Amino acid sequence: MSSLIELKNITKIYRVGDENTAALKGIDLTIEKGEFTAIMGPSGSGKSTLMHILGLLDKPSSGQYLLEGVDVSRLSAGRQAAIRNQKIGFVFQQFNLLARTTVLDNVLLPTIYGKAEKSISRARQIIEEVGLSDRIRHKSNQLSGGQIQRVAIARALIMEPSLILADEPTGNLDTRKSEEIMQLFRDINARGVTIILITHEESVAKNADRIIRLIDGEIVSQEENAA
Amino acid sequence: MKSYVIFKQSLKAIFANKGRSFLTVLGIIIGIASVISLIALGTGVQAGVSDSISTLGTTNITIMPGAGFSTGASSGEGMGASPHGGGGGFNLTSSTLTVEDLNSLQDESKNPGIKQIAGQISNSAIFATESGEYRYTVMGTSPGYLEIQQLTVSKGDFYDESDVDQTIQVIVLGSQMAEELYGEIDPLGDNLSVAGTSFKVIGVLEAAAENAFNNPNTQAYIPYTAAAGPFDSVNFSSITVQAENEEAVEGVKQSIQKTLLANHQISDEKLADFSVTSSADLLSVVNNITGMLTALLAGIAAISLVVGGIGIMNIMLVSVTERTREIGLRKAVGAKTSHILGQFILEAVVLTVSGGIIGIGLGFLIGSAAAPFLGFTPVVTGSTIALAVGVSTVVGLVFGVYPAAKAARLNPIDALRYE
Repeated sequence: MSSLIELKNITKIYRVGDENTAALKGIDLTIEKGEFTAIMGPSGSGKSTLMHILGLLDKPSSGQYLLEGVDVSRLSAGRQAAIRNQKIGFVFQQFNLLARTTVLDNVLLPTIYGKAEKSISRARQIIEEVGLSDRIRHKSNQLSGGQIQRVAIARALIMEPSLILADEPTGNLDTRKSEEIMQLFRDINARGVTIILITHEESVAKNADRIIRLIDGEIVSQEENAA
Repeated sequence: MKSYVIFKQSLKAIFANKGRSFLTVLGIIIGIASVISLIALGTGVQAGVSDSISTLGTTNITIMPGAGFSTGASSGEGMGASPHGGGGGFNLTSSTLTVEDLNSLQDESKNPGIKQIAGQISNSAIFATESGEYRYTVMGTSPGYLEIQQLTVSKGDFYDESDVDQTIQVIVLGSQMAEELYGEIDPLGDNLSVAGTSFKVIGVLEAAAENAFNNPNTQAYIPYTAAAGPFDSVNFSSITVQAENEEAVEGVKQSIQKTLLANHQISDEKLADFSVTSSADLLSVVNNITGMLTALLAGIAAISLVVGGIGIMNIMLVSVTERTREIGLRKAVGAKTSHILGQFILEAVVLTVSGGIIGIGLGFLIGSAAAPFLGFTPVVTGSTIALAVGVSTVVGLVFGVYPAAKAARLNPIDALRYE
């Protein structure tokens, strides 16, 4: 059985003025199904670029990206959108939710663009799992930062994706709230959902099974997390 | 379910900025309202004119001497006698409509469907009275004319067929004419000099409605046989035929054509020395003209719709910029270019169509409010409403495409990062 994700010599080069800047310099990475991986690195290390490529929001300059054994890096924008919809759930640091929109409608957002008809009862169930049953009719501007991230996680789960990509999901939260969110990620991972977490905080990264460190567009270390 | 959700989203986006949405839509409202009210006025005028033509009798057919006038004002002239004070417009000596023609048309076996028929010799003549000389139109005709023109006698009698057959020199006056010539005096029994011949007044008509082409109140009526003397003509300046009903009009027209061609020994219809025109023919000409005028007015009003459309486009561009991050988020969770395109076009169309609907209501109110000052009733038809809804949809589509395309082209990463 193939790995969930295989990156083969992925590079990303940005052209700024007359200069070419390499954001990623040949990344090789394999992530198995059910893994909880943290990608760490200081700002400018290329971790966001890597996450965009993993999330099919950006295309690599060269290299191969196999998702469930299929090369997805050269697909059309429409096909990539469909894969994002079906196989990838996103949790961003901020601006995660539609403004003035209820928790339920936010969670249901991906279902508008999907082929499969996901029911409202499924959304209610997930919202309960993230602990927001009593807020289901609340609008996004009536929620706290932690609650917003819980809604985002629920939305990421609604399409039952193979992969959840979280980009600094606790970046705007205090320590206690961020602990709660990380616990939620661990629970989700325990049910077999693959999670890739982008962060620059050691305390957050230590929740993962494996920590990948990135500096200047290169993987400098991969360590199994003993904890 | 999904299209319902997307529609709900559009409504939400529009209601998120109620004031702004309303001001934007105002342009469309004004545009549609002016188109609707102008078309309503135009349709009202058309209905008014049609009514006025219908007072001539929708079942009436007029036969005129001379080359065929199929359309145009000349057929209008033929609808009745000459207007008041005019007359003499036809060269009677060359008229080709004879008493034989009249008689053969009265033959029911050859011309079924005819209810009433009357030939007219129309001319103006000088009426000499003690107080002076006046010029009026004189109509030499048969008693059937009374029924065809829906005229009634108020005093005395109209002459009958035997008066016509015997060429009795009697005259019936229009109500206004009697008033002008006699005032308070009873005209019945008076002898009136018409173009030098003496006629005995036997009746006065009830005041009748003027129609578009004819004022029956300022005419005098004599047996057509008696008209031959003063007017030096035995042929008719026109023959008016009343069909039994509207359905029969076409058939009657054709049988008249056939009978008269045979009478005049003309084999080629194009060479006919007479013309047969029905009210319906005239109606279609008038409808053409008023229809063109209405279209012209509506076209001018439509310019304001274009201006309104540009307002929509402008505000949609602002909206796209404001919602850049929302667009990025939607793309991240799987929205395709077509989804975003559809969403923003739908928003623009919802804006313009709601403007269109309000505009229809407003236009209707303007039309109704104007009605008392116009003397006719503006008419809003189903097709007018359909047109307004259609036009506002098209405006939304046309002016929504550019902002929507701009939104759909956004790169999701740039959109998510947009501050």
